[in-house]
Amino acid sequence: MRHIKGALGPSATFWVRLLVPILCLLTCLCQAEPITLRMTVWDGDDSLRVLKQVAKQFEATHPGIHVELEAVFYNDYFTKLLAQYAAHVAPDVAMMDPPDFEKFAQRGAFLPLEPLFNTVPGFDISQYYAPIVKAHTWNGKLYVLPRDIAPEGLFYYNKKAFDEAGIPYPDGSWTWDFKERPELKEKDFLWVLDKLTKKDANGRPTRYAVTTWDPMGLLSMFFFGQDARFTDNGENPTKVFFNSDQSIKAHQLLADIYNKYHFAPSPSEMSSVVSSTADQLFSSQKSAMYICGIWDAVKIRRALKPGTPEFFDWDIAMGPSYAHGVRAYSTGGSGYAILSSTPHPKEAFELASYMAGKPGMLAMAQAGIAQPAIRKYALSDAWIPGPNTPIEQRYPPSRIITDKEVPYVVFMPSSSDFPELMSMLQAKQDSIWTGLLTPKEGLDEAQDMATARLNDMLKKESLPNLNWTGAIIAMVGIICAVLAWVYLPERRKKLTKNLKSESRVAYWFLSPWIIGTLLFTLGPMLLSFIMSFTDWDIIMPAKARGLGNYTEAFTSDPRFWKSMEVTGIYTLFSVPVGIVVALALALLLNTKVRGISIFRTCFYLPALGSTVGLSLIFQKIFQQEGGLVNNLIYGANGKGNLIGLGTLMGKFSGQPKDMANWLGNEHLALATFVLISLLSVGGAMIILLAGLQGIPQFYYEAATLDGANAWQKFRAVTFPMLTPSLFFVLVTGVIGSFQVFTQVFVITLGTGAPNDSTRVFMLHMYDNAFKNLRMGYASALGWILFLVILIFTLLQFRLNRKVYYEAEVR
Amino acid sequence: MTPEAAAERSQVRAVRNSIAWEKILKVVAIVLLVVGSIIFLVPFLSALNMSLKSEAELKTTSAWALAQHPTLDNYKEVLNNPNVSFVQCFWNTFVIAFLTSLGVIISSSLVAYAFARLRFRGRDRLFLIMLSTMMLPTIITMIPTYLLFAQLRWINTFYPLIVPAWFGGGAFNIFLLRQFFMSVPRELDEAALLDGASHFTIWRRIIMPLSKTALATVGVFAFIFNWRDFLAPLIYLNDPHKQTLELGLQTFNAAQQQKYHLLMAGSVLVMLPLVLIFFLGQRYFVKGIVMSGIK
Repeated sequence: MRHIKGALGPSATFWVRLLVPILCLLTCLCQAEPITLRMTVWDGDDSLRVLKQVAKQFEATHPGIHVELEAVFYNDYFTKLLAQYAAHVAPDVAMMDPPDFEKFAQRGAFLPLEPLFNTVPGFDISQYYAPIVKAHTWNGKLYVLPRDIAPEGLFYYNKKAFDEAGIPYPDGSWTWDFKERPELKEKDFLWVLDKLTKKDANGRPTRYAVTTWDPMGLLSMFFFGQDARFTDNGENPTKVFFNSDQSIKAHQLLADIYNKYHFAPSPSEMSSVVSSTADQLFSSQKSAMYICGIWDAVKIRRALKPGTPEFFDWDIAMGPSYAHGVRAYSTGGSGYAILSSTPHPKEAFELASYMAGKPGMLAMAQAGIAQPAIRKYALSDAWIPGPNTPIEQRYPPSRIITDKEVPYVVFMPSSSDFPELMSMLQAKQDSIWTGLLTPKEGLDEAQDMATARLNDMLKKESLPNLNWTGAIIAMVGIICAVLAWVYLPERRKKLTKNLKSESRVAYWFLSPWIIGTLLFTLGPMLLSFIMSFTDWDIIMPAKARGLGNYTEAFTSDPRFWKSMEVTGIYTLFSVPVGIVVALALALLLNTKVRGISIFRTCFYLPALGSTVGLSLIFQKIFQQEGGLVNNLIYGANGKGNLIGLGTLMGKFSGQPKDMANWLGNEHLALATFVLISLLSVGGAMIILLAGLQGIPQFYYEAATLDGANAWQKFRAVTFPMLTPSLFFVLVTGVIGSFQVFTQVFVITLGTGAPNDSTRVFMLHMYDNAFKNLRMGYASALGWILFLVILIFTLLQFRLNRKVYYEAEVR
Repeated sequence: MTPEAAAERSQVRAVRNSIAWEKILKVVAIVLLVVGSIIFLVPFLSALNMSLKSEAELKTTSAWALAQHPTLDNYKEVLNNPNVSFVQCFWNTFVIAFLTSLGVIISSSLVAYAFARLRFRGRDRLFLIMLSTMMLPTIITMIPTYLLFAQLRWINTFYPLIVPAWFGGGAFNIFLLRQFFMSVPRELDEAALLDGASHFTIWRRIIMPLSKTALATVGVFAFIFNWRDFLAPLIYLNDPHKQTLELGLQTFNAAQQQKYHLLMAGSVLVMLPLVLIFFLGQRYFVKGIVMSGIK
């Protein structure tokens, strides 16, 4: 004992004496350390400010709990949440909404909330609006505590427009029917639309009667108003009714409003920028009414400040009811769910019921952002403007409508399988709204596609769990096979002593890449390969499915071949045209002209912009009405025909009477994306320019002395010397364009609109991975794409022999 | 006239012809340059124009109408936003982009040197394998990669964004540098080898200095890519203080709460440093590879 003590020496005892109190102190601190709750939301600037304040109040009233608020943009919100959940680093509380919560709830990722109700004194679920509670319930259990409800059947209206037309303001007692009923006057919806639409001498509307934020706003009024439904059972559908008579009639009515009467701009006329321009049409008085939820009131209030020249008097009114039927409005809403992985469910519910309770709701209501999900507060003066409300918050004055519409709200079928079926309907709706398909044709197609998919979904196979030992053995086998493929063919090659040392050095040079691959790349690649043979939803353990995913892709996936075709056509055009343009620009930028560095920067600018900002501008450039390109082709009056382009576009689009609808027409949209890709050739251009700069000047001098003209110099000097860069641009261009995704995703809002004509392969894969939670199937799609790209790359490597390398080592 | 004189004269004529041609080509080039840069400037100029409009003006006028009352208020509002500290974002983004591009330049040039200059067993097939890592869509490797970094406890740190760049620097960059290295004549390194220099010395003293163009290209690309990268910072970073610029911009683009006037001002702000870096960095593209020492 003494020996040991001696070995440790006096300094060791000193350290022990020092450490013990420190450790004691640390344990004490740990006990007093506050619980940290992480909460994730998809709110933007305004509501985030409010939430932060409320979270601070919560911390002040709940000592010992620290709240971290994390905001994630809606488009990627679920992707991140799934990754976090799979990796056991999920937040404790997460914002959710009716269309999205069920896929998490049914897989056990959320806690049922009823058992937690009595942990918060005074909590009473019956205070909440019943429809929004029901919309967040699955299998009889509540999983999301609602924070707001947002009926979409609000009609924002411009009082000035009504005054001019001599029509009394709408009071909600109006009705709609399948034809105009002039005898009812202002009580007839179509009559009002007719009176409010202003047209010029050519019959082109100068002011629309109404604009839709989302065609579903009006469509669901017409569809649900007839008491029709999309499925036989909202939670577990076995049949869809997309082409029912009521559905055809509702679609026909809306298509007529868009295309026959021109009361409203069709969604495609706004070139898929619906959400960004719809409220703008209203604020700039190009549309007398606007259908949306209350959330857009914030934007309209900011655009129309009382006392500014832009201002006009406006309000909201309740939508019409069906003359022989019911009132029905589709609706939004959201709330907070508690992740089942949280170590602090009690505290998490305390936070959720605070944020989705009196403090949170009143704060959101006072800022005019969201209608409280608790009726009491939706009727309080925090939400309903009164005499004490500041003038800029007073609009819209009739905010009470938001409460009156609640009894009539209708939710989409809640089944987590439904969004995929709905996306098939939406694809066909694109063609119906552009008039390329009649409602009957489009809906029949949607019905067939969705029924086939639904029948596939209903065939629930019972699959065994994945055998991980087998999977790991397979992984090791694959690695060995690949290593053998690399090494064995050259095993017999006799190496001189010199070469031996050279190859030893080579491995040192390669070591960063080898280590990086082993650490970061190889594992995920192999895991995704194994997952391609499984049924994996990211949340639950994977089930072995054998070759099932691959056979499904080639035989029964209705969108597989379509997305392959779209990607193939895109690659076929964007790569060669892109290289020619990049080469031409590089040659231009290689000339010795004063200020060339400024020109170079100009040409590279579009490749520097942020994707979101650029996408918005591209949408505006290619907009049908008022877009820059169409202004050029058709002139300001819409009658022009620049060098015959108007006629040409008419032929391509199948709609010769209209201006080209670049992003909204299914025959043009993909071509428009090719055009957009040309503006971002900056990268390839720079690589080729660097290649050009590397060509020694004396080659040109020699060629000039030999009497070569410009073309001969290009053929004999420039082109061969540039082949290494060209080869690089070609190979990486093909790889990149097969994986085209971000721009399409942002511009089409992830839909591949119109009518799947821009549904590129990656988009299809993304939908399966993160929207339909079929990561196993998506992995199979990814490996199919890998093979396709590999084959094309190998073909290009045959060209490699013709590439001229100054210093090739054979 | 002797045949020699005639030949000389025709040569002179050819040279003169080609000089005349070059002049015409130059004029054509200038015209094309001006027209082309106008087209390529449209997106940036429209963003700039929109960023100078007040929200009310942006919503009530055409996107192409010039700002009637240009104002810098949007920029002030972006910079003073309480949700996102753009100064902090700027610093975070700079740290990530700078460290990443440094790692890319160093590690990818090492690997590219081996593929371009050295002989070893299975080189061409290994090269193909290296390329194939670009061919698998990141969407399907995203979750496994996330699980990996979570195992390393790297979530909510900059490590997942920076460290991989120091190990290989990505197939794209290795491939690009390999193509350039293969165009550098071998005479110099052969002479150096005879003098007993190691391959490391050749890489450092000959290849790197001779490939400034390519290295600048790779470095600027990596910097720009990481500056604009969105998805990786989005999933790996949670803490608002660790956000990057592209993430900060999203605050103005949230579903149903878009603020396009601020989004445009923010986009221009995010872009300006890149424009500056590119404008200054391209001096190296102009210089080109110094070949005068050879032949």
